[in-house]
Amino acid sequence: MTLAMPAPVPTLQAKDFRSDLKPIWCPGCGDFGVVQAVYRALAAVGRPPHEIAFISGIGCSSRIPGYTTAYGFNSVHGRALPIAQGIKIAHPELLVLVAGGDGDGFSIGGGHVAHAVRRNIDLTYIVMDNQIYGLTKGQLSPTSPRGLKTVTSMYGSLEEPLNPLMYVLSYGAPFVAQGTPADLPGLTAMLEEAIRYPGFSFVNIQSPCVTYGEESGQIKAQKEKMKALADMKHDPTDRIKALSLAQDYGRELYTGVFFRDPNPPPTYDALVKARQAELSANALPRQNILDLFLQK
Amino acid sequence: MTTDLVIGMAGSGGDGIVSAGESLIAAVATEGYHAMMTKSFGSQIRGGESSCRVRLSTEPVLNPGGTLDVAIALNWEDFLKFGGELPVGGNTIVIYESKTGVAPDKLPLPGVTPAEVFPVPIADMAKESAKTDKAKNTVILGLIAGWFGIGGDGVMKGLRKKLAKKGPELLEANERALAAGRKYAQDHPLKTPRVMERPKTVSPKLLTDGNDMCGAAAIFSGCQFFGGYPITPSTEIMQFLSREIWKYGGSVLQAEDEIAGIGAAVGASFAGKKAMTATSGPGMSLKTEMLGLATIAELPLVLVNVQRGGPSTGLPTKTEQADLYQAAFSAHGDVLRPVLAPTCVADTFEITVEAFNMAEMYQTPVVILSDQEISQRKETCDPIDTSKFRLVDRLRPANSELGTHYARYRFTESGISPISEPGMPGGNYLAAGIEHNEKGAPISGGIMHAKMNEKRFRKLNPIRTRRDLFQTYGDPNAPLALIAWGSVAGVAREALRVAERKGVKVKLLVPRLLYPIAEEFFNDFLSGVQAGLVVEQSHQGQLYHIMKMVLDLPKGLKSYARSGANPFQPAEIVRRLREQAQAMHQSGDSMPQEE
Ligand SMILES: Cc1ncc(C[n+]2csc(CCOP(=O)(O)OP(=O)(O)O)c2C)c(N)n1
Ligand code: SF4
Repeated sequence: MTLAMPAPVPTLQAKDFRSDLKPIWCPGCGDFGVVQAVYRALAAVGRPPHEIAFISGIGCSSRIPGYTTAYGFNSVHGRALPIAQGIKIAHPELLVLVAGGDGDGFSIGGGHVAHAVRRNIDLTYIVMDNQIYGLTKGQLSPTSPRGLKTVTSMYGSLEEPLNPLMYVLSYGAPFVAQGTPADLPGLTAMLEEAIRYPGFSFVNIQSPCVTYGEESGQIKAQKEKMKALADMKHDPTDRIKALSLAQDYGRELYTGVFFRDPNPPPTYDALVKARQAELSANALPRQNILDLFLQK
Repeated sequence: MTTDLVIGMAGSGGDGIVSAGESLIAAVATEGYHAMMTKSFGSQIRGGESSCRVRLSTEPVLNPGGTLDVAIALNWEDFLKFGGELPVGGNTIVIYESKTGVAPDKLPLPGVTPAEVFPVPIADMAKESAKTDKAKNTVILGLIAGWFGIGGDGVMKGLRKKLAKKGPELLEANERALAAGRKYAQDHPLKTPRVMERPKTVSPKLLTDGNDMCGAAAIFSGCQFFGGYPITPSTEIMQFLSREIWKYGGSVLQAEDEIAGIGAAVGASFAGKKAMTATSGPGMSLKTEMLGLATIAELPLVLVNVQRGGPSTGLPTKTEQADLYQAAFSAHGDVLRPVLAPTCVADTFEITVEAFNMAEMYQTPVVILSDQEISQRKETCDPIDTSKFRLVDRLRPANSELGTHYARYRFTESGISPISEPGMPGGNYLAAGIEHNEKGAPISGGIMHAKMNEKRFRKLNPIRTRRDLFQTYGDPNAPLALIAWGSVAGVAREALRVAERKGVKVKLLVPRLLYPIAEEFFNDFLSGVQAGLVVEQSHQGQLYHIMKMVLDLPKGLKSYARSGANPFQPAEIVRRLREQAQAMHQSGDSMPQEE
């Protein structure tokens, strides 16, 4: 089915994107703020819920699609991106959102991220980065700081954390931002921009886990620490500068757009459509496909 | 006159042995013969030794055949590397490159005295006629045309097409090489002529292998998305689709691994498109988690597993039937996953269409369990009337079902719930790996979980009544029985012919639905059976053991199983069957009648 492109329905409001499922999250979990920002961003973008596919993996954060009225897919741990890519390729007119935790995206699913980036499929990938495994109750995550003591690292972690911003930037993602529910309007604006961006867009959200997370990651601490990239006069069209700022992940909390490619590269889904259009002219009728094998 | 001929040839990489085989099978197909071609290579990625076997007949060819009627060696070292794949016997005509310096009475074939032996200066003839020893394979085709009366003109026709763009010189050189081979054969007649009888009727034929057939069937079925990762011997399915599927509005994603390949296919199916993935054993292991997801989310999906020797890398280029347990049982949680097995190239079309239909009808993953042999061998087959196939699309909700009251997993009598897809207003729902209620909302209670399990099993009940997925051959009242599936079915069918010729009464069951076990059909077939064999190319005999788990088998029905890469021969199946019957008799049970 082909959908009429944008023609936004201006009357959509944040509440139209809220489902009647009650979140299972702990009171105070940062993901509450994230889902609020998602509702508002989607209302601003204006595509009706049935034209949105929202895919996640497994984790506390991955519950998010169920709390929206979009078509949701709460899939398996670490595989939201492959599923989302299949959806977007098969039905390019859909608005495709992907979300999950830092473990989901950068540990078990880490191998998929680079490929989603290099294909530049037009979707928005939101990571709710709490530096911990929430759903399984407090184990080490790939973004946990070195030395962190958790139930699986009783004497402190022996590993450096992975840097999601550098990871995604260095594979050439055309849109990379970081936000926090501590700044809801900023997060909303950034999500809206990411969704509107024609290509792979990545938003790392410092979404605190109130139950297993560190004090330094909570909303209160974040509010003191965060620095808006806009205030720092960062030029988001400068990839090298973005990479250099991204190096501070884990030490500084920059919010805003790190990089936005002003000349969006072609998206995989658009190239697929073009190839189909180009080749469909010389197709045998489907029911005669076996003529390919006919010996004459 | 000869009505059935098995030709085997071997040489080193650059000798063009396989392309000679391909020219030959294409030529005899246009002459109206039924034919089958298998190829085999050494372990080098390029160069190395290569071989092929072409079997042709005036009757349908059911398997690649056993001992060669004609053995062609461009050099003995390479030929001998194929050992059991190119067996020479007392009835074989051996043709070899005389340059090898081997005397005709000193062939390196211990214990075998071939019927006739011809050392032929193949390389010299090629150089003389075509000015290049690259034409050796064309000389061979000339020899075959001269001695056996097949191929010659058809080969030229094929070459004319193939070399059209390369200019007349090359074509003429090949023409001369072919003529040189033919002339040599005329000047050196066989003691016992073996010219092939002409087919009674010459009708147009399809010629392809199982993997391309599978790809074509997927397109015919309306498949619009393929996600996968290369793995022998399934890769040609992706290769075929990556050439063709775009023309039909579809696409192929070569994913970063097998998990992403099936994941993208699951996504495409969620988006409302027919989707497929293909792999072999190790890749199947990686895909298993996603199969669980597609099962509980009730998404249609076709997965092709082309079996090779395992475990792990095992024998990656050889056939085996040891992944049936994996296909049926590799699951977490309670899962009923239909497993279909094609028996030959032509059947791969029907089985693939069936798999798409089943997946759509029952909103569940369906496995096509093919094997290396079927997937990579070329066969002629009669044109398939595609108009006789009904294509099934998933049941979508009526407009009245859409809206806030839409329940994606609604309990229905059949267990099938109408499925919406993104883009459909009012069909919005949450698909999930987590257990859910009728509306798709996550739940954690045992009662709803049990009801959903029951629904997911119940919807598949009609599959067990599909008699058309079972083929039977032979005398339905025979007390001796054979059961075989996949590529072994073709050997078993020929074993049945051999047995019948010897006056032994046997019947054969070929299940194409391997799982779930359709108890009724198996019991019908097995009633009155006193002795028999379930013939499988695996160490364990997996179908036999699944049957044993579900059915009360007659005491005399045994497993005849052996590891992959060693093809069964019809005669040994018959021998084994008679031994089986004998053993029954000796143990005091009544002896099946042999006339
Ligand atoms: C294949 C597989 N392995 C492990 C798990 C268990 N598991 C579920 S969520 C999770 C990690 C959750 O952490 P994260 O992805 O960071 O999300 P959060 O819960 O913190 O939002 C793990 C290990 C699983 N569901 N599937
Ligand atoms: S465990 Fe942490 S991440 Fe999970 S819901 Fe509770 S606060 Fe949020």
